[in-house]
Amino acid sequence: MLPEPLRRVVQMFARLPGVGEKTAQRFALQLMSDESLASELSRELAALVQNVRPCERCGNIAEVDATGAAVCGICSDPRRDGRLLCVVARVQDLIAIERCGVMRGRYFVLGKLLSPLDGIGPDELPLPALDAKLRADGVEEVILATPPSVDGEATALLLGRELAHRGIRVSRIASGVPHGGDLEFADQITLGRAIEGRRNVDSVG
Amino acid sequence: MTVTRRVAFERVMVRSFRNLASIDFAPAGRLNVIAGDNGQGKTSLIEALYVASTSRTFRSDKLRDVIQEGAEQAVVRATVLGEASGSVPLRHEQRAVVGPRARSFLIDGKKPQRLSDYAVRTPIVVFHPGDLELASGPAARRRTLLDRVLLYLDPAGSEARLRFQQALRERQRLLSERGTRGADLDAYEAVLAQHGARFAQGRQRAVEAVLEALEPAFRRMAAPELPFRGAYVPGGSTDPGAFEEQLRARRERDLRRGAATFGPQRDELQLELGGRPARSHASQGQQRILALALKLAELECVRAASGTQPILLLDDVSSELDPARTGAVYGFLRESESQVFVTTTRPELFVTPGLEPAERVDVTLRAGELISR
Ligand SMILES: Nc1ncnc2c1ncn2[C@@H]1O[C@H](COP(=O)(O)OP(=O)(O)OP(=O)(O)O)[C@@H](O)[C@H]1O
Ligand SMILES: [Mg+2]
Ligand SMILES: [Zn+2]
Repeated sequence: MLPEPLRRVVQMFARLPGVGEKTAQRFALQLMSDESLASELSRELAALVQNVRPCERCGNIAEVDATGAAVCGICSDPRRDGRLLCVVARVQDLIAIERCGVMRGRYFVLGKLLSPLDGIGPDELPLPALDAKLRADGVEEVILATPPSVDGEATALLLGRELAHRGIRVSRIASGVPHGGDLEFADQITLGRAIEGRRNVDSVG
Repeated sequence: MTVTRRVAFERVMVRSFRNLASIDFAPAGRLNVIAGDNGQGKTSLIEALYVASTSRTFRSDKLRDVIQEGAEQAVVRATVLGEASGSVPLRHEQRAVVGPRARSFLIDGKKPQRLSDYAVRTPIVVFHPGDLELASGPAARRRTLLDRVLLYLDPAGSEARLRFQQALRERQRLLSERGTRGADLDAYEAVLAQHGARFAQGRQRAVEAVLEALEPAFRRMAAPELPFRGAYVPGGSTDPGAFEEQLRARRERDLRRGAATFGPQRDELQLELGGRPARSHASQGQQRILALALKLAELECVRAASGTQPILLLDDVSSELDPARTGAVYGFLRESESQVFVTTTRPELFVTPGLEPAERVDVTLRAGELISR
């Protein structure tokens, strides 16, 4: 019952995370009633896919430069300590850690985690790219910051064992109490895990 | 532990739940007798209360079975009054909405951080005819009871259980699709062992608590000279290293069997009467007594761990027990401070001289409709 071009746009919006059929339809109808927004959005989106790509070195989002290369601000920043590398699952995780302002090294974005139920094995992980990053930056220590899910833990374990073979120091982020102070506000399970996963104070770096 | 808190349903609203199209119910604080002929909706009402307070059903595997035929979704909304001695009673609302695919469980209109937070908010224990297999049926029945206790006793252990189960599925998939070797198999087994060992610790605590409460509960119900013993036969290990080793050693076997042969999913709570395993040797009457005692032990464990007198749902108990045992149950009910819901086809059997009229409500269900008496 919707005209075909409109229906196609609605379907595309509905593919975005957190957007259902109804919201998608609202977005599409809004764009039709606001012509300048629609044309600006289509121009910006075209520019975005042309000028922004995953960073060739780490998978972070990066702007394409004059030579056609895409290297992100973190990889190209000489003040970053290349010896320290933080491995994350998704760009969102990188942004979240970056916002804390404590990470002085660089990152590597896996883009996916092991997942036997979805048929994702070690061969599907971007290990050659990670290898290239390790060599290029002379990485000495890796922080594995994959999420504390079963797949995140298994991926961290697999990477940890591979990296340890090569004499690289490996650590895993502690899953613990959310900051913001009071322990009483942490839920039981998070707090329990933080206490069970406690580390010796000497080894907290 | 002395328990000074109690919870009670104050109002219950049920919509499109099994054969209950629309029910609004204001229960009594102590005893609620739900009468009705067979097939009128008594169990369905008990089940609705259970779903509202725990997000689970005790009746079928699939929650969506509760949606009334032809309806889009089943809804149960319950206002629960929490009373603690010496302070003002607090109300909260729990709402369960079950659709064919999506479902939502809200406490005071908000989504709890975890489903387990929802499940323990209103401590509750149900006893239904299926529970009579607790002693005679397969070990899975007894593990379900242990995990109900675990939920209250050790939330982190309960969380480890969920992760353990997921890792178990992933390892089995790896074995069947990629065989008994692989760097990812090593990794998943390590994760599995970690959560499995933590879950096993929780199971051990749950078993200890249940066995401690089971002894007096059993004595209460049975002839005192009948020697009774309960023992825990762990299927896994509480040590992650030993756990991982076992998994590695059993890859071939687990692949052939199609399931892991090591782990708390194979725990057994063994019950013996007169030195013989109850499951295979006890009489039917003895098995019922044991089942009942297990339920009372669950009630005691939930009570102690939550510090709250749980709500008690009893579906059709008197029709399944002999008069002496029924008497023992009623004696227990009289003493307990719990809010109780009982269903029966013969309400005339329920005489409760000790209760004030205001403490008891009698209703009858007829073709899914509630009729007050
Ligand atoms: N999803 C559903 N939609 C509609 N009706 C259902 C649904 N599930 C079950 N029923 C019906 O609801 C009726 C009431 O079932 P219920 O088990 O609550 O009865 P009961 O009063 O406990 O009976 P009994 O005394 O025999 O235990 C039954 O006729 C059953 O077939
Ligand atoms: Mg019934
Ligand atoms: Zn980069």
